[in-house]
Amino acid sequence: MPPKQLIRKEEWEKRLHDVQVTKTDLNRLIMDYLVIEGYKSAAEEFSQETNLEPAVDFESIESRMDIREALQRGDVEDAITRVNDLNPEILDTNPALYFKLQQQKLIEFIRHGRIAEALQFAQDELAPRGEESPEFLSELERTMALLAFESAPNPPSAIAELLSPAQRMKTAGEVNAAILESLSQGKEVKLVGLLKLLCWGENLLEEKVAFPKLNVLDGSFVERG
Amino acid sequence: MTSRPPRSSSIPIPRSASTSNSARSIEALIPIPFVPPPARHIHATSPHSARPIAESRRAGLPDGYRSPTTGNSNVSTSPTRSTSRSFSLASSVPGRNPSRTRYEPRVGRSAVPVPPSTDLELPVQPSTSPSQVRRVSGTSLRASGPQKPIVPLHVVSRTTPVAFPRPSYLDYSSLRQLLQTEAPILPIPTRKVEVSLTSGGRNLDDIEFFSDEDDSSEPSTPPRPRALSVLVPSVSQERILKLPTRWSDQERNPHLSVAPDGRKLSFEGTSLNGDKDAASARTIHPIPPGCGIYYFEVEILGKDQKVHISIGFTGKSVKLSRLPGWEPNSWGYYGDDGSSLCTDKSGSLFGPSYGVGDTIGCGIDFTTYKVFYTKNGTLIGSAFDNVGKSLDLYPTVGLQHSGEAIRANFGQDPFKYDIDYHVQQQYNATWSKIMDTTLERYLLQGHRRSGFSIASITNDNGVKPSLTEEESKRVLKQLVSSYLVHHGYAKTVRALEKQQEALDREAKQPTLPDGADHDIEMNNASSKSNNIGIDIESRTNIVNAVLAGDIDTAIESTRTHYPAVLEVDDHLMLFKLRCRKFVELILETTEIKKEIKSLREREVECHRDLETIHDGWLDEEMNMDIDDDAPGPLHIRPTLDAPSIMSIDPTTVLSANDAGFLEGIASQYESALNTAITYGQALTNDYQSDPRPDVQQRFKKTLGIVAWEDPLEAGGAIAELVSHDARIALAHEINQAILKSQGRPAQPALETVYRHTAACINQLGLLGIGSAAFADMSREFLQQS
Repeated sequence: MPPKQLIRKEEWEKRLHDVQVTKTDLNRLIMDYLVIEGYKSAAEEFSQETNLEPAVDFESIESRMDIREALQRGDVEDAITRVNDLNPEILDTNPALYFKLQQQKLIEFIRHGRIAEALQFAQDELAPRGEESPEFLSELERTMALLAFESAPNPPSAIAELLSPAQRMKTAGEVNAAILESLSQGKEVKLVGLLKLLCWGENLLEEKVAFPKLNVLDGSFVERG
Repeated sequence: MTSRPPRSSSIPIPRSASTSNSARSIEALIPIPFVPPPARHIHATSPHSARPIAESRRAGLPDGYRSPTTGNSNVSTSPTRSTSRSFSLASSVPGRNPSRTRYEPRVGRSAVPVPPSTDLELPVQPSTSPSQVRRVSGTSLRASGPQKPIVPLHVVSRTTPVAFPRPSYLDYSSLRQLLQTEAPILPIPTRKVEVSLTSGGRNLDDIEFFSDEDDSSEPSTPPRPRALSVLVPSVSQERILKLPTRWSDQERNPHLSVAPDGRKLSFEGTSLNGDKDAASARTIHPIPPGCGIYYFEVEILGKDQKVHISIGFTGKSVKLSRLPGWEPNSWGYYGDDGSSLCTDKSGSLFGPSYGVGDTIGCGIDFTTYKVFYTKNGTLIGSAFDNVGKSLDLYPTVGLQHSGEAIRANFGQDPFKYDIDYHVQQQYNATWSKIMDTTLERYLLQGHRRSGFSIASITNDNGVKPSLTEEESKRVLKQLVSSYLVHHGYAKTVRALEKQQEALDREAKQPTLPDGADHDIEMNNASSKSNNIGIDIESRTNIVNAVLAGDIDTAIESTRTHYPAVLEVDDHLMLFKLRCRKFVELILETTEIKKEIKSLREREVECHRDLETIHDGWLDEEMNMDIDDDAPGPLHIRPTLDAPSIMSIDPTTVLSANDAGFLEGIASQYESALNTAITYGQALTNDYQSDPRPDVQQRFKKTLGIVAWEDPLEAGGAIAELVSHDARIALAHEINQAILKSQGRPAQPALETVYRHTAACINQLGLLGIGSAAFADMSREFLQQS
């Protein structure tokens, strides 16, 4: 194998300098982040401060955020109503998403100790769907296991995490992505893609070349000999 | 999607027309000059005056195998083409006759690889590219004689090898800007051109806020004047990746002749018998893996239905007396039995056999290192794996029998196979694979624990530590808010923080066990937000003051909030601001002078107009006005940005017309001048003995502007010093200096992330990692959907 080529910091900085990107380009990436993550008022301010038109109207950001908030509060019913208000097709055409919302609803019943309701709901709504796909079924079983561990001090983490705020956020994130897709918006923040590409590129390039590595948090470089 | 013009299309260089993807044929590129004036001939031929020299330099080169009759046989084997070939631009322009002989020696040598230096010498050519007549063959000259008068100019031979637009499927490559077809060097797209174009629509932003807009693409260097940077190419010329576009006249077996257009190969002489002996030819350039996917098609010509042809790839050192696939480092698909052959595996039946009339497509996918074939526009499939990983690949065709001939399409004509769709699929697959990458924790540290390659790290640890979703969200927040702070988007920062706090409260986030050991500032962010707000505000005020020409405020405010900024480097920033102050003072006097002048002109007009109506009493006063040295209304504040003379109602001028007022004007001018001079003297006292050469230079240049009646109109170095752009540059500089004094990076981390990533991808592409060609950042991140 040939010796690794070495690119010094000075040369690397020259190349960085040659990259074609403008402030407007970067502003658009910021706008994309603000819109997709649902920072409506920040997106509005940013639009004014930069004269940049967002690709979507701000109201859709708001309803998306209302849905997200409802899910984070645990009010699944409200979230489902709002999703249907925004676009009824989203749930009709996406059974997996609908199942996840129902599952979240079941989790909320159990969280609040409404066991009878939980059982009824599981039998009426979730069990028929569990028959549709093995994946739904195993998720349903996992959720129902919450009942078994209800009073146990240390339930297995795979079960306990269903009750964590992270589970709510996960569901909220999936609904958010589905709505974005229905609005033919990118569903992932472009900046996330950028970081992924960075990881991919640095890893691959490191096999061939020694070059300065970047600390993404402060934009500083570390050069290794 | 397929016809997206390259970025270079925005550059007003005439040749750009021929690089446009929409123009698929040469005809489309040629305007139709009905009666070409004599001057046009000179123009059309002049770029070529250098060519014969280059030609004669090559005249000593071996002239290959071709005999003069070759041209004829070419014509006879491809009758449909010969018709069009006879209509050439050269032959149809009467004025070109004398120069024909100079081009004649090209016959048979046109496929000699043009040395790179010669390519570089080629001037940028007008869209009626004379390169299209460059390799006019003897055939066309013979055929064109009697037809000359009736040949329409725009009908140009399709067989002359010319610079043709980059095939559209290559637009999927992120390195597309570097990929070049034959002949003239593309004007290299310059980033500054683009910046200045886009910034046209953003002027409001410039004025209202900071405007490092125009320099944002190069914040790490001292701002350069725009006019100069237009000439700076974003890509150095030596990094151009040449595409294989024709057969080499040297890298070919003597049994083969290459047609002047470089696309047709014919087997000459007696057939070779046996499996082994054959005659192959390679293209002039190897395939740059930065293509991502490279594809060419071969049409089988000739008479015999059964052909002994192999189409594929070879390395540079592979014998040309064998069919591709016979030797190591070569791969081929055989026409007689449809087998695919390479030394890594025994020959196997791969696809249908092929023969005269068929078009075989051959492609190499550098994302998978697989070779695929098509027949008559239909994909056969992938024939070979592990091709081209560490070897330069040349498209290669081998023939064995007399009368066999092929004609290659390297993108000059539309392909039979929908290669654009094929590439698009592969592009999408590659991109979604890249987007499956997990974010690794090392991103936060900028280095890994050792200098070993990533493979060995994986072996050490088993798993590479990755970021949790929560952590990556925090990284994003940090990148976004530091960006907003950097550029001073204060309102957005506040709105964002408010909303994030609200969300965090609702989500009642548990503290993540391992989030703490990374310096993610999120939790501190809210407590800091007030300070950040104040900081942004004062920084913004300073920057805006500089942009408005209010240097005193800028200096005062900087002294109050960031005293160190003025002092650093022996008060260099203060010096620069003071120089600007002097410039502003001089500009003020210039403005008053200008207003005076235009007022006078205006009054002359008024006078004329009004004279016709009331010719009596006005006369006297108007004459007085015109003779006066310094008329002008006192209430008009001269400003750089808004010369206000046009808005002045003539009656105002007339009514304000008394002696006291005129004196006021005169004294206004005088006092402005005095202020400027006094300030200039103070500058002289303070800096004339400053030992720093750059200070001296700037100082002298600054004082020098006094010599110009209107420095803004002076152009050149003077304009650079006084223009609004100079203000923008200074505002940018002071913003950077303040950020630097606070220990913040000179460019937002986000921008560095983008640039760094782009540099990585570009480097990968140049190293021949095909997947990098399909990691197109501008397509994925910058273009608006």
